[in-house]
Amino acid sequence: MLDSFLNSFPILFGSGNFFTILFAVALGLLIGLFVGALPGLTTLMAMAIVLPISFFMDPLVGIPFLIGVYKGGIFGGSIPAILVSLPGTGASVATTFDGPPLTKQGKGRKALETALFSSVIADFSSDIVTILLIGPIALVALLIGPPELAAILFLSILIISSTSNGSVGKNMIMLAVGLLIALIGQDPIAALTRFTFDVFELRAGIPLLPMLIGLFAIPEILINIESKAKQFVQAKLNLKKEEQLTWKEFLGLRKTIFRSTIIGTTIGMIPGVGQVVAAFVGYAAAKNASPNPEKFGKGELEGIAAPEAANNAVNGPTLVPLLTLGIPGDNVTAILLGAFVAHGLRPGPQLMTEQGSIVFAILLCMLLANVLFLILGYFTMPLFSKVVSIKKSYLLPLTIVFAFAGSFVFRHNPADLYFLLFFGIFGYILRKLEFDVTPLVMAFILAPSLEYAFGQTLSLGDDGLLKYLLLERPIAALIICATPIITWKLWKRSKRLRDVATEVTSNQVK
Amino acid sequence: MKNLLKIFIGFLAMLSISGLAKADYPEKPITMVIPFGPGGSHDLNARVFTSIIPQYLGNAIIVKLVPGASGQTGTAMVAQAKPDGYTLLFTHNYVDQLQHHVKKLPYKPLKDFVTVARINYAAACMIVLSKSKYKSVQDVFDTAKASGGKMKLGHSGMWGATMVPMAQLLSWGKVQANLTPYKGGGPMVKGLLSGDVEAVLHFPSVIKGQGSKVRTLGCGAKEKALGNPPTFDSLGFTGQIGYMDRILVAPAKTPADRIKKLQDALAKLKGDKTFKKFMGRLGENMEFMNGPDYEKVRAEKSKNYKNLVKQMTKG
Repeated sequence: MLDSFLNSFPILFGSGNFFTILFAVALGLLIGLFVGALPGLTTLMAMAIVLPISFFMDPLVGIPFLIGVYKGGIFGGSIPAILVSLPGTGASVATTFDGPPLTKQGKGRKALETALFSSVIADFSSDIVTILLIGPIALVALLIGPPELAAILFLSILIISSTSNGSVGKNMIMLAVGLLIALIGQDPIAALTRFTFDVFELRAGIPLLPMLIGLFAIPEILINIESKAKQFVQAKLNLKKEEQLTWKEFLGLRKTIFRSTIIGTTIGMIPGVGQVVAAFVGYAAAKNASPNPEKFGKGELEGIAAPEAANNAVNGPTLVPLLTLGIPGDNVTAILLGAFVAHGLRPGPQLMTEQGSIVFAILLCMLLANVLFLILGYFTMPLFSKVVSIKKSYLLPLTIVFAFAGSFVFRHNPADLYFLLFFGIFGYILRKLEFDVTPLVMAFILAPSLEYAFGQTLSLGDDGLLKYLLLERPIAALIICATPIITWKLWKRSKRLRDVATEVTSNQVK
Repeated sequence: MKNLLKIFIGFLAMLSISGLAKADYPEKPITMVIPFGPGGSHDLNARVFTSIIPQYLGNAIIVKLVPGASGQTGTAMVAQAKPDGYTLLFTHNYVDQLQHHVKKLPYKPLKDFVTVARINYAAACMIVLSKSKYKSVQDVFDTAKASGGKMKLGHSGMWGATMVPMAQLLSWGKVQANLTPYKGGGPMVKGLLSGDVEAVLHFPSVIKGQGSKVRTLGCGAKEKALGNPPTFDSLGFTGQIGYMDRILVAPAKTPADRIKKLQDALAKLKGDKTFKKFMGRLGENMEFMNGPDYEKVRAEKSKNYKNLVKQMTKG
């Protein structure tokens, strides 16, 4: 292992095409950044489209190129989330809590820079952890089967909804609604159709992207419109006045970034959980640890750093099952697998022993990509923050156009526009009734995986579930036992935070 | 307003001229819908042949991934498309020939689509861990029988490419087992590696990557790369078991001359060096079959699946 690691350096730096690699990664990052920033175009689609290009490159150029698209895309998705509350993926939903308020205060650039720095630092650290612990991470991946995954997902849903804003009762209602609408479509185990009322468009389930844009962007637009329309038309943010992140502010974020990196890296090691959970748990943890939790959601830099660091820290460890076991954990790694295979390198135990140095060289490229991204991101940031500096009377209609176009481009399915409208109006009503939609979105995103893992567990524990869990699945049994305790503690804590919050608001009223 | 109208009329005129001129098909890029997600084997195979086909077809084929509802969303999209040869569907036999026996669909696969060609096929193989005691398919059957149907086997999705052949094998061996579903081939292999399930079916290209960790007990076709394990036929199973045919189909009313043009271009792939190189690396074969020949296979398989579904859903 050490040998192949050391051998990877000459492969990467001594090959003579080091600059080609740099260029390919930079190109990939830029493609990813722009695709991710445009709502409706997903990183995944971009990767699938550029995949054949990588076939005709050297493996050490083509695969880093794809990794660049991937990394750039994940960050790109946060840009519209911060600026106009348009989350392109589930992973950037948590960023819409503090991003748009900051933008409104004229701190859009600050928010974008916070996102960039936290993402890059977290990603870089998680990649280093991945390189150092590639063997143990692979072992963990094998230990997590369906029962463990089900227990972890269930716990995640509870953690996130118990730390959301608003009353516990309302959160539980939202949770239930999210779980219910996730049931629409084909059931994941037996592929039977449920709750579709014979409408074919519902058979594939409710599409995530139109729902996210509907729930987050449309209410934001409507509320902007009704809030003093006059002021709105005049308001114009000047780019030059937009403040950059100060060194002092950055230092203030270091604890949050560190915490989220650990959360994200740990979650990344558990196959099947992913960035969405990491972002939300990172946000919840930062809020819990903060001395002024009431500021979260109103434009707190920590509220950007926490989810951004957490969801990017997932990147490194998710590659481990692919590289060591040859098993792609999600669609992104499946595309990377394709790129490897087309070059005659089939990831798996064999590749690791025979050509381990290539694997490590690619991991080193990921570190390189982070450094490059820091530079590229820093210089393209003003360009993006300029978007919101145009007159608001143009920005609002533009956002509406992007919301609709994004929902349509996603699957080219006209039905998605109806979904967008429905969830837009639904989200607006919920906002007015002071419901937090986070538990709904969380439950909706995690329910299919939870149901799948639960169904698999039932199937595997066919002859006595309790016996199966206790005797063969001690880890799952342990997590299940810990679930009520953890939830109770967190709930008590967040109750205290809520009390503090109400106190502060009532003081302000006085 | 007047200007707008002029532009509109001009546009209409252009459209009608281009319609009348009837340039050689294909005069614009063709859209090929894949009803599955990115990164799957259909996606990979398609990326390879679509990047080579322009030189034989004279225009590009653009891949469009439309996953959802086990392939039904994308299939329905093509079924509703204009049958002009510019919208095609790249699917496989289980979506094309089995699903309509399981549930009501807004299209009739065998009637609404016509096969352009089978690009290639992948034949599933049964694998177990190398350290397990199973040395043959019969060993697995014997254990399943002894366990009273409780032996744990995995598959990659209901009515999918590894579940159907597994059900066929079990039904021929007259044994039952606990079939646990996994969300795709990757997680299924992980289930096997971690010992959650004892045997699964998978395709040679994937099995090769697992090296000495797994043992192949039998395959649907002859697989030299895996050291020629016994074929299911040689073990006494009749019929083609485990073949996943990657087929290109078009809406049934597509003009025959256009389909012919596609077929001619696709047939030339076999002699293409780049195609050969990439298919070799992917571990996929180049067993091209022309549309009319495949239509016979298609009808036959559909009939077999009908019986299987009846048998499976009876209990």
